Amino acid sequence: MTAPLTHLDLLEAESIHIFREAAAQFRKPVLLYSIGKDSTVLLHLARKAFYPAKPPFPLLHVDTTWKFRDMLAFRDRTVRDLGLELIVHVNEEGRARGINPIDFSPSVYTDVMKTQGLRQALDKHGFDAAFGGARRDEEASRAKERVFSFRSEGHRWDPRRQRPEMWRLLNGRLGPGETARIFPLSNWTEKDVWRYIARESLDVVPLYFAADRPTLERGGSLLVRDDERMPVRTGESLRLRHVRFRTLGCWPLTAAIESDASDLDSVVAETLAARVSERQGRLIDHDEAGAMERKKQEGYF
Amino acid sequence: MTALALARDIQPRAPLSLPAMPARPEFPDAAGDLAQDVAGSLHVLTCGSVDDGKSTLIGRLLWDTAGLHADQRETLQRSPKTAAGTPDFSRLVDGLAAEREQGITIDIAWRYLDTPARRLVIIDSPGHEQYTRNMATGASHADVAILLVDARGGVKEQTRRHAAILDLIGVRRVVLAVNKMDLVAWSQARFNEIRTEFEKLADRFGFDDAVAIPVSAVLGDNVARRSLAMPWYDGPPLLDHLSRIPARGATPGGAFRFPVQLVVRAGQDFRGLAGTISSGEIGVGDEVMEPVGGRRARVARIVTMGRDLASARQGQAVVLELDADIDISRGAVLASPGLAPPVTRRLDARLVWLSDERFGADRGYLLRTATDLIAIASIDIGAHLDLEALAERPASTCGANDIAVARITLGRQAAVDLFSDQRETGSFMLIDPISGASVAGGVVTAAHAPETRLGRNAFRLTRDLLARGIGADLPPDRASEPELRRRANEVAILLREAGVAVEIEDTWGRAGLDAATAWLALMGLLSFGFVGAVLWGLV
Repeated sequence: MTAPLTHLDLLEAESIHIFREAAAQFRKPVLLYSIGKDSTVLLHLARKAFYPAKPPFPLLHVDTTWKFRDMLAFRDRTVRDLGLELIVHVNEEGRARGINPIDFSPSVYTDVMKTQGLRQALDKHGFDAAFGGARRDEEASRAKERVFSFRSEGHRWDPRRQRPEMWRLLNGRLGPGETARIFPLSNWTEKDVWRYIARESLDVVPLYFAADRPTLERGGSLLVRDDERMPVRTGESLRLRHVRFRTLGCWPLTAAIESDASDLDSVVAETLAARVSERQGRLIDHDEAGAMERKKQEGYF
Repeated sequence: MTALALARDIQPRAPLSLPAMPARPEFPDAAGDLAQDVAGSLHVLTCGSVDDGKSTLIGRLLWDTAGLHADQRETLQRSPKTAAGTPDFSRLVDGLAAEREQGITIDIAWRYLDTPARRLVIIDSPGHEQYTRNMATGASHADVAILLVDARGGVKEQTRRHAAILDLIGVRRVVLAVNKMDLVAWSQARFNEIRTEFEKLADRFGFDDAVAIPVSAVLGDNVARRSLAMPWYDGPPLLDHLSRIPARGATPGGAFRFPVQLVVRAGQDFRGLAGTISSGEIGVGDEVMEPVGGRRARVARIVTMGRDLASARQGQAVVLELDADIDISRGAVLASPGLAPPVTRRLDARLVWLSDERFGADRGYLLRTATDLIAIASIDIGAHLDLEALAERPASTCGANDIAVARITLGRQAAVDLFSDQRETGSFMLIDPISGASVAGGVVTAAHAPETRLGRNAFRLTRDLLARGIGADLPPDRASEPELRRRANEVAILLREAGVAVEIEDTWGRAGLDAATAWLALMGLLSFGFVGAVLWGLV
């Protein structure tokens, strides 16, 4: 007799099922790898889904050129250790125009370097489906997201054209011009992600653990200065603080929190006790009300 | 404490008896149970009319169970209050900007909240009558449904419709939340009246479990905490009731089913079948069969990353390696010999029409089962289910929000369960071949005896024809099978659009077909011999 399945067992099985359905139904899928904790879980589940074979798709990282150096090192180590194929794409046009998160508003920067960069990469390689680590618990407009989420021509998300999903049946048949985004972690919460990382003993980027880092305060947020490109303005000062990140993105747009959680146990404990939602640390979401929903309609992941 | 010990899942409670839960005035903070994973999850569908206060009930649950972060609480406190002077809990639920503007839900929203006993996955389905399809969609994911009614209005036509949809989609546990009890002066008599009516309705459908609870969502009475205003009510508050229902994955039920998703190959020797066990259990050494072709083998290994398993159960995603190299690919359903699903080409079904585009008899719809995609030869709509009268009315077509009774003829044979026996292998979706849209969801109500041929008017796409023509570029091995099948479906769709009924020669049923062909050949030889002998005799 087999033991009853736990909550995490069921989540894991559901995600594996989704990976396999997508791999079977789409012509050329890709896994959007953004290096953070959700991507770490996503990649681990992808490996489980096709074991003993390797995942039958490459990883894609849309590099905004403003990722923490620790993240890039972690990305390259992971890909090397696991023997996977990684495609790195930079929006060269955006880079040439000098679009950056310091001089431009978060929404312009994100649109050019992330959203447009992603679209370019998907079009360039002809991917018809992209796995992402988005979860329904992250943000209000994500609460209605499908597991197989469809994008019209131009990668636009139209809430009225999304397909109903019933039982465990997943329909990946594309209409003309359509591509799909696949969200195997749809039903996971932030707590599940951390508990799973602990259960499976997964490595994550060291930035999730508290350490002394050079920080400055700006607009009520604590920013870690990862290199010289961010000028210290008058009235600001760089200070070593014991900080960590709850969510990871482009470093000038991701706020750190002061914390003593320096190992997995204490990070899990701190997450479970958190009184503030996770995306609080994402400055791009606070740009304006309904920001995420608008970004999605424009093709943000 | 190690990370592993910290994160170790604890086992779900045994579902054998319902543990008595003490009434709890307030739930502890989320911080109170750091080390434990939630004990199990339960998917809860909420349904009710626009004005019954459904969003408020869900918002209240989130508010009262530490399912919210401080920033979300502050945002709500700053927002306009309700007439009762409480925060407007419904604002926590209404997700899309368009929805906030319209004030009605236009889609299904998912919420996750942890109570000491359960992860509750709240599936919020819209109450407006136009959205039968959305409720049916939500119900297909639910373990239990909360039907919400206004205590002033009681059980209405809408409630009957909702109960009928739950029954159709297979939700066996129902809670009637009689809301706005504060507006009927907490009247026990009014509650009893509504409960009696609800019990009559529940009896009609034979739900496994049907309970009525008097609540006030806006004030929080009998939601997460026991109501002091209704001392006459001695049942559990809503949340306690939900905590006593067995969690998902607690009990594997039914005969073994394993819809094959993929063939996994690794190295020269490994060939395994990847899938999720949709029902029952399987162990190494057990015999399994593929019902359409009738081939059998034993399970040699149950493979997962990290370790092989001795056995696996419903809900687990595994790779099965068989002891014999039999020809099975995506779309096959493995079962235990003797307990296998019927193999059929004709089935009766009930459809919930989801698309805004009406049913078209000549569209070459595709049937998506657990892992198979089958070209459909024809669909005949016979009736609509009238959800108010709970009776069938003759009909020959259908559109959005209709529930239709249909007979479906498939382009080829398939192993299909009855929905009443097997939820996952007895349900399907209809796919529009051009737009790819999911136009209807369906449940199988009857499977008819298999027929080898559709009739003289059907065009038969044989393997030979396919392999020599549109499949000529594919290597002649079974790795090409899924692609060949995909192309066969597409050809069938085109012919169907041109008004030709199509029959696709079974791909997995080759053993059976080969036998039949051999028999026909033998008959041919015999008759030729007979004719020859007669001729010879005449000469």
